Amino acid sequence: MALDDRKLGVFALALAAFLAWYGHSLEAAFSYEPIGPRAFPLAIASIIALCGLILTVKGGNRVEPNSQGANVRIWLMIAILSGYAVTFQLLGFIISTALMTLLVARLFGGTWIKALIGGVGMGILFFVVFDYLLDVVLPVGVLGAFL
Amino acid sequence: MNGIFDQLSIGFGVAFTPLNLLVAAIGSFFGTIVGVLPGLGPINGVAMLIPIAFAMNLPPETSLILLAAVYVGAEYGGRITSILLNVPGEAAAVMTTLDGYPLARQGLANVALSISAWSSFIGSLIGIIGIVFFAPVLAKWALAFGPAEYFVLMVFAFCALTSLLGDQPVKGVLAAMIGLAISTVGVDANSGVYRYTFDHPNLSDGIAFVVVVIGLFAVAEMLQMLENRLTGVSIDVPPSVRKMFNFMELKFTWWSTVRASVMGFFIGVLPGAGASVASAVSYAYEKKHYENKDPDAKFGRGDLRGLAAPEAANNSAATGSFIPMLTLGVPGSGTTAVMMGALSLYNITPGPVLFDQQPQLVWGLIASLFVANLMLLFMNIPMVRVFASMLKIPPWLLVPGILTISFVGVFALHTATFDLGMVVAIGVIGYLLRKLGLPMPPLVLGVVLGEMMEQNLRRALSITNGELGILFQSPISIGLWIAAAAVIVGPSLYKRFKAAK
Repeated sequence: MALDDRKLGVFALALAAFLAWYGHSLEAAFSYEPIGPRAFPLAIASIIALCGLILTVKGGNRVEPNSQGANVRIWLMIAILSGYAVTFQLLGFIISTALMTLLVARLFGGTWIKALIGGVGMGILFFVVFDYLLDVVLPVGVLGAFL
Repeated sequence: MNGIFDQLSIGFGVAFTPLNLLVAAIGSFFGTIVGVLPGLGPINGVAMLIPIAFAMNLPPETSLILLAAVYVGAEYGGRITSILLNVPGEAAAVMTTLDGYPLARQGLANVALSISAWSSFIGSLIGIIGIVFFAPVLAKWALAFGPAEYFVLMVFAFCALTSLLGDQPVKGVLAAMIGLAISTVGVDANSGVYRYTFDHPNLSDGIAFVVVVIGLFAVAEMLQMLENRLTGVSIDVPPSVRKMFNFMELKFTWWSTVRASVMGFFIGVLPGAGASVASAVSYAYEKKHYENKDPDAKFGRGDLRGLAAPEAANNSAATGSFIPMLTLGVPGSGTTAVMMGALSLYNITPGPVLFDQQPQLVWGLIASLFVANLMLLFMNIPMVRVFASMLKIPPWLLVPGILTISFVGVFALHTATFDLGMVVAIGVIGYLLRKLGLPMPPLVLGVVLGEMMEQNLRRALSITNGELGILFQSPISIGLWIAAAAVIVGPSLYKRFKAAK
């Protein structure tokens, strides 16, 4: 699927419809001011709709599609980052960071050995720097007993 | 006159505390590295550091000093790869490649690096002097602004930012509106109504600004890098006879540097135009100025003046761009918008009263800009090799490192896994929007200004009980509407005028 301005326009129209549909019911129980919480979002929605309309009608500006390999890598990266987000607190900073680094490093062409050393090193080094030196508290997760 | 010296002494008092000196040095160093790395510019560096500075409980002025040092540091760093590799380290350094790279190939790499560090310093210095003299005046003038004037001023800032970016203003407007829409999420301060929260507790305070910027400028940036899969480069600074520029070269470039600095400062103050526009304009001006007069001018083939001018201009523009943020509370560029978002973490709203209420913050920042530039000048001449060696960090280590720092910052904000998921989602959306040619600075500005814009609009309309006429009443608002119309229509009129000629 190649991206172009028409798709962006459709996206904008959908966003505007959503903003307007949800924003329509926004009503203050009692209000002291002439302009309530609804006007601003609805004004934004109408401008977005206008932009969307222009883009949909005009179309064009096709974006060169990524190569097959690049798309696979990007999907993998999104999966890895989602995994990192979920495991950050659950497994703790050190383990989740080591895993993320290992996988992302592989994606960027590091060898298994380098990626593994990099991952473990990054997890421990950043934990020491942030948690101990800079006082930014990080989740300890499953290693809680040892840290 | 006396007032200025009093204020400067407050400023230097703040800047010379050991903590702030240390922070300025670290920021300058880190900023230069960020500037050196292709693909990362000041906005990425500043975005990454905001939540961490906040989590470290740095006082607001210290955090602002850190971010400002990163910003100017990146402007210094961008030139290194431009000169050595013909690859601009960040957007404003594109013009630097034109004469910088040819000079390096002629064996004058060290001369080019040192003279450009010098002209960057002069550019910043002139920018700082400009802030000292103009900012308080502008702040005093802005005190007369009521809610209606503020609203129109923000409309003007959006118009300026979107019309100067790219050739499709529709996309700029769309980006700004998406930003404003993001800012409406959360509980409405006036009525207590929850907007677009879906009864989710993590959304009731709105989408944190930091989450948006890190999504857009760290995660999306990494996806972009993955697409091209950059490989690490190793470069050597070619040996050259002299390490430093000599007096002749200083004299040769002096007026170009000064002219470009002054021009850059005024371009930087205008909302919308930033360091990249300033360096391009000043380069074009110097080239035109000398090509008719000087038969020896060799712009594009290694003219020192063609190197000094854009470097001076981008630094003075970066410095000048602090003015609208500090005095009006309306940032004129993506990077200063991000900085203003950082101040909002501390519940500080920049604007005209800041000069009276938080003099230590404003003048401390101004003095620290000077200190950071001095540090950068001395760091940049002997340490060029150190900075250039940063390019040897392979992407497989760099990318996870950036992601880790970003996640640490976002998590530190609310210790919420929800925010991390949000960062990934916004990153993916941001990546797609960027591919579709949507400019990011208006979007960031929308997120930062959204609440203020809505509040000022509602306040203005409360005065007249809903009558829109108040937005067109005072001479200031009318002037701003005219200015806004001019920046929208101006560029296309100019193009047509030029074509007709």
